[in-house]
Amino acid sequence: MIDTFFSLDALGSPIALFISLLIGLGFGLSLEQAGFGSSRRLAGIFYFRDMTVLKVMFTAVLTAMLGLSWLLAAGLIKLDSINLLETIYGAQIIGGLLLGIGFVMGGWCPGTAAVGLASGSLDALLFLFGAMGGAVIFNEWYPRLAEYVNWGNQGVLFVYDTLGTTRPVFALAFTAVGVAAFWGSEFLEEYVGTGNLRRHAPVLVVVSIGLLLSAGGLFVTPASPTPGSGHVASFAQVRPGSASISSSDQALLETIETAADHIEPEELADRLMAGDAGLYLVDVRSPAEYAAYHLPGAVNLSLPDLPTALAARRNQGTIVLYSNGMTHPAQARDVLQRQGYQNVYLLTEGLVGFLDRCLKPASVRATVLSDAELKRINAWRSFFLQAAPLPAAASQRGREPDRPSSEGQAVIWPSAVKPEVALPGLVSTAWLADNLGKPGVKVLDLRPQPEYNRGHLPGAVSLQVESLRGMSAGVPSMLLPSSMIVQHFSQLGLRADDIVILIHGEKLHDATLVGMAFDRIQHRYWGILDGGHALWLAEKRPLTRDLPQVQPVSRPPVEESDRFTVTSEQVLRSVRQQDSVIVDVRPVVNFLGTESDEARAGHIPGAVNRPYTEEVVTSSDGVVRFRSRQDLASAWSALGVRPRSENPSPNDGRSTEKPVIVHCRTGHQASQAYFLLNYILGFRDILWYDGGWTEWASRPDLPLATGTPSESGN
Amino acid sequence: MDAPESKSAGNTSPQPYLNPYLAGLLLGLTLLASFLILGAGLGASAGMARLAAFCQMCIAPEHVLSSEYFGGWGKSPLNYYLVFMLAGTFLGGFLSAWLSGRQQVRLERGTACAGATRAVLAIVGGVIAGFASRLAQGCTSGQALTGSALLLTGSLVYLCCVFAGGYAAAWFFRSQWHD
Repeated sequence: MIDTFFSLDALGSPIALFISLLIGLGFGLSLEQAGFGSSRRLAGIFYFRDMTVLKVMFTAVLTAMLGLSWLLAAGLIKLDSINLLETIYGAQIIGGLLLGIGFVMGGWCPGTAAVGLASGSLDALLFLFGAMGGAVIFNEWYPRLAEYVNWGNQGVLFVYDTLGTTRPVFALAFTAVGVAAFWGSEFLEEYVGTGNLRRHAPVLVVVSIGLLLSAGGLFVTPASPTPGSGHVASFAQVRPGSASISSSDQALLETIETAADHIEPEELADRLMAGDAGLYLVDVRSPAEYAAYHLPGAVNLSLPDLPTALAARRNQGTIVLYSNGMTHPAQARDVLQRQGYQNVYLLTEGLVGFLDRCLKPASVRATVLSDAELKRINAWRSFFLQAAPLPAAASQRGREPDRPSSEGQAVIWPSAVKPEVALPGLVSTAWLADNLGKPGVKVLDLRPQPEYNRGHLPGAVSLQVESLRGMSAGVPSMLLPSSMIVQHFSQLGLRADDIVILIHGEKLHDATLVGMAFDRIQHRYWGILDGGHALWLAEKRPLTRDLPQVQPVSRPPVEESDRFTVTSEQVLRSVRQQDSVIVDVRPVVNFLGTESDEARAGHIPGAVNRPYTEEVVTSSDGVVRFRSRQDLASAWSALGVRPRSENPSPNDGRSTEKPVIVHCRTGHQASQAYFLLNYILGFRDILWYDGGWTEWASRPDLPLATGTPSESGN
Repeated sequence: MDAPESKSAGNTSPQPYLNPYLAGLLLGLTLLASFLILGAGLGASAGMARLAAFCQMCIAPEHVLSSEYFGGWGKSPLNYYLVFMLAGTFLGGFLSAWLSGRQQVRLERGTACAGATRAVLAIVGGVIAGFASRLAQGCTSGQALTGSALLLTGSLVYLCCVFAGGYAAAWFFRSQWHD
């Protein structure tokens, strides 16, 4: 199997850039040798004088297409190792028509103009200047075009799926059209008197035969499914003939025994993603359950209706039945098989198994996954989780980061321990006292080392917050990338499904910052001890000076990027479009710009100020806690962070009216706002600008404002 | 028709172009190599657009960085594989034209066409093509050639539209090639 630079996400590496240069060299050479360094020759195709463009382009397309098809069939490369362009009908139709007009006007297209310039053509130079201007115009108009550019976006779509056929069938038809076009072009050129058939014919005969044989050969490669039989043959478990014996009960039992009547969730997921047209997916659960969530493309049929509804598909394609588990579909399958159906399959472990085996985040899996497995899981997740929201019960198992769930929902906890609130969130000292020391419950003490040494909760491991931050792309104090956090937590003995409770000292935002690290690596079960170490101490609960034994564990790798961290570019875009509430949680003096620790003083234009110290209250005995939920809700509502009116439900991930970006100087204090918005007020889509004022101030190109914002409250 | 159009004034007479089917084969194998090694196809317009972003950034950095489309490419838009590919394309074309004795400074046009007319058409055509290739996220190379070889529906639709647009407009611009 070939790993491409694209599949390794390394297209930006120096070696990939060098190879791009070499490939460009071959590209330019081919174009120039074809005669595409001449605009007159290129434009010839539009006047039927010179069909070289068609001949060269079509030969190239067919060569690459057939070569790739053979390598795919041989299993040497996978399509998902290649950057596949989305089908966006609107942009591609309009863009195509316009490019055609520009092509015939200018006599060039961008690639050939580069070659034309290299061979001395001044009109190519002018065309290139024009093309750069066209790109600039597109950029300037982009704000107005943005809502249309994605019109008709179908995602990645293969033409053989659109036409309901298979790759070999389409490849052969396409090749035949190409070969016919070659001969047609030659005779056309003869007819208008520009032709050179005698010189081209020998090569063309060889090329025609070669292309057609190569396309025809795709039908006999082992991996190529042909319509009708191919779908069944691709089941790994099917033994020849085992599904096609009579409908006697003996045969049925044998089929069940060999599990030849099952389709594994992984295979179903891959085939759904590939848009397999021969697949007929039947959801046999109740209409209510179906309405709440179903696999993409599934139809909802009740058991009594199956024989009638499926009659037309008896032994046509592949019928897959699924329910939550396996009992009902198995009974249905038995009935259908007695009626002579040989193409009915059950989804192994049902929908529950599908969610568990395909859609469960890699970060909460018990086993260590290879890179290939990780990639596969992430591909499934992005495909199936975007397609439709999961039901509440499933989202508890399959989605991250966890939303605060409403009471009464069954949460499947990793161990016998059950916190009184949904995690991530605040847990009480009483709960921690009850559960301290149980397997699967870990405690991290975030206070300075000397304080930890003087006494800590039994079993608590010391963690210094700064060890999770570092320099990234020239910006100091950035939260470490996922891989480094995972490595760090592995050393601390924290398993992916452990419940981790964070103990803070004077700074509550130490705990929320460590929480950002857990969220980044999609560790689902973490909480902050409400009241921190001070409350535990005030309640005279047990402390020790003994150092705990830490056993490093291995954790599965996770996705590098998270969904909540934004860059300065994204913030800048929000500033320009005024489409977000930007909340600066630094002290007022820093916000106004009267005091500064950085190169420039002030704040991001349009930002509102909510000093982080406002969120907490400190009691006389030093216990730092969040203000009440009501206080926080009304304070943030006044800043413009309000639930959307059409979505007034107080629970389960409300949307805000506008996206919210929180930031401070280094990301530390802002993590506290992030926590309270997410896990106390229950908002979704809160964004965190980790670079903060440190980065913003260091970039003279970024705008700033000082003083009080003219429009307050947004 | 296999001789170049320009009247060669050089000391070496230009070599004939390669047989179009062999040139196509060469181009197809280059594209296949790109798929297998880079995991991405060929492209020209993206490199050009990034060059445009770079040039504009030299004049108005803040404006470019804060713009939604170019701004997304960051402070160094040239640090991208398709920019290097475009540079390679130029070098490959240069090498090939030089070795084949086809390098000659010229403004290609029909003898009946004024130089200024041809120049204006080349620039305006460029503007339209440059805009169109950003809209469709690719030009003849990135969409039509690459996407069609991958059998992607949208790219094949795009390819058909390029020719439809070209043939529809051809009549209006025929005079620039008149001899």
